[in-house]
Amino acid sequence: MSSPKNRRTVIKASNVRAQALADLLEGLVKPQLWWHFAAHDIKQRFRRSTFGPFWITLSMGIMVAALGFVFSQVFNQPIDIFIPYLATGLIFWGLLTSVVNEGCTAFIQSEGYIKNVPMPLSVHYYRTFARNMIIWLFNMAIYLIVYLIFRHELSWAMVLFIPGFALFCANIFLMGLVAGILSTRYRDIPQVIGNMLQVVFFVTPIFWSVDALPERPALVALNPFYHLIEIVRAPLLGAAPAPESWLAASLMVLLALPVTAWLYRRAYARIPYWV
Amino acid sequence: MAHISIRNLTVEFKVYGSNSRSMKKQILSQATGGRIAKGADDAMTVKALDNVSLEIGDGERIGLVGHNGAGKSTLLRTLAGIYKPTGGSIEIDGTVGTLIDPAAGMDPEATGIENVYLRGYLLGMREREIRDLIPSIAEFTELGEFLNMPVKTYSAGMFSRLGFAISTAINPEIVLIDEYLGTADANFQKKMVQRIADFIDSVRILVLASHDEHMMASFGCRQIAISQGAVTRV
Repeated sequence: MSSPKNRRTVIKASNVRAQALADLLEGLVKPQLWWHFAAHDIKQRFRRSTFGPFWITLSMGIMVAALGFVFSQVFNQPIDIFIPYLATGLIFWGLLTSVVNEGCTAFIQSEGYIKNVPMPLSVHYYRTFARNMIIWLFNMAIYLIVYLIFRHELSWAMVLFIPGFALFCANIFLMGLVAGILSTRYRDIPQVIGNMLQVVFFVTPIFWSVDALPERPALVALNPFYHLIEIVRAPLLGAAPAPESWLAASLMVLLALPVTAWLYRRAYARIPYWV
Repeated sequence: MAHISIRNLTVEFKVYGSNSRSMKKQILSQATGGRIAKGADDAMTVKALDNVSLEIGDGERIGLVGHNGAGKSTLLRTLAGIYKPTGGSIEIDGTVGTLIDPAAGMDPEATGIENVYLRGYLLGMREREIRDLIPSIAEFTELGEFLNMPVKTYSAGMFSRLGFAISTAINPEIVLIDEYLGTADANFQKKMVQRIADFIDSVRILVLASHDEHMMASFGCRQIAISQGAVTRV
């Protein structure tokens, strides 16, 4: 629906593609749509449960405790180092996978809205993204608890979390959007991505640490997901991320940006027919 | 002055078969030079609207008639900006409200009040505007305490009353309506007819797609017949 100020609407077949990028912006400035619906999603998921959304925090806590005690033994690592490392890694890996996996179905699941309610298409993706950011906030409580128990000293390197998190979010935002566009057209993509991420989880140092290995395997340095996790995990653990991690994460955004824009321009007008 | 100007509007899209959306077919067709998975692109192109031109002036009431699949809903959705044209153009002067599916965005698990908010946001309202609307919606729907219960406990009639009440609370200059707005019991039917009549009186342009010629006549609609995506009678 156009706002009262902007009474004139022109829809031309010749400029549909040009509208695609404007749509990303128009969706963003309509938080009353995506924010309220994201909050509603969370509310709905835990309706009538006693703990409500704190189940998110609780399940992350259980996961960290269980994996932490097992793998600190397996890798013979001191628990006060390993648990904060594991908790931080799991929280951000969880954010990454849920943004990408739920990004896959962002448009498909919104079919009823897309076909019947005029609004910027990107709203549906922002809703998915916002929902996962809310979940992330609940998970961050585990980081705070773990940090208070095992570490509790502050470090200046923590300030680096701010640019690191911004870069991390930019990356996962674009990944999820690409996944969403491709999945709407090719219905095998969600399965492919789901399985791929599962494999990546095992080869990326999240529940195991590079320090535990006799030598650093090459697949770690070449693994873009390792660098992505590092730029947020290292600052939160009080260390500065390696320069190559900043470089890798920045290059990924620079690469993904034009690819995503190109794809969104191509798919924008067709998504209502694909869903 | 509200006005809609449609020039040479064409909407085409591909309809994919049950299987052709899979990547396997595309990859196979690449790998085998298109022999094994022949017809990987067996998508049919549907021309839902074919070179439609229409001028709708201020104060007009338009009734779109035609068979199922003639293109009425596609035309409404394209006017609403949901479907993008592949040819031609549309110029609209005036704010547009759509009632394509009065239940769109309603969540059966959520309460009546929550659904008023959800629908309200979708219709472009702000939180405050919706809050101000609630008493009048409660009064019109006669749902009373039910508004605080999950919508899934409602009867079909109660459900459609609620969707209808929120959907007609908007105040656009142009309104696009697809089919009639739900069902109701006999008592309520009168109230609903009155409300829709008031609603339609308040807008500058109405475009209604329906099979109910009697209803169209009661709104004083100029009928436009659509057949196979083209305007056949103005």
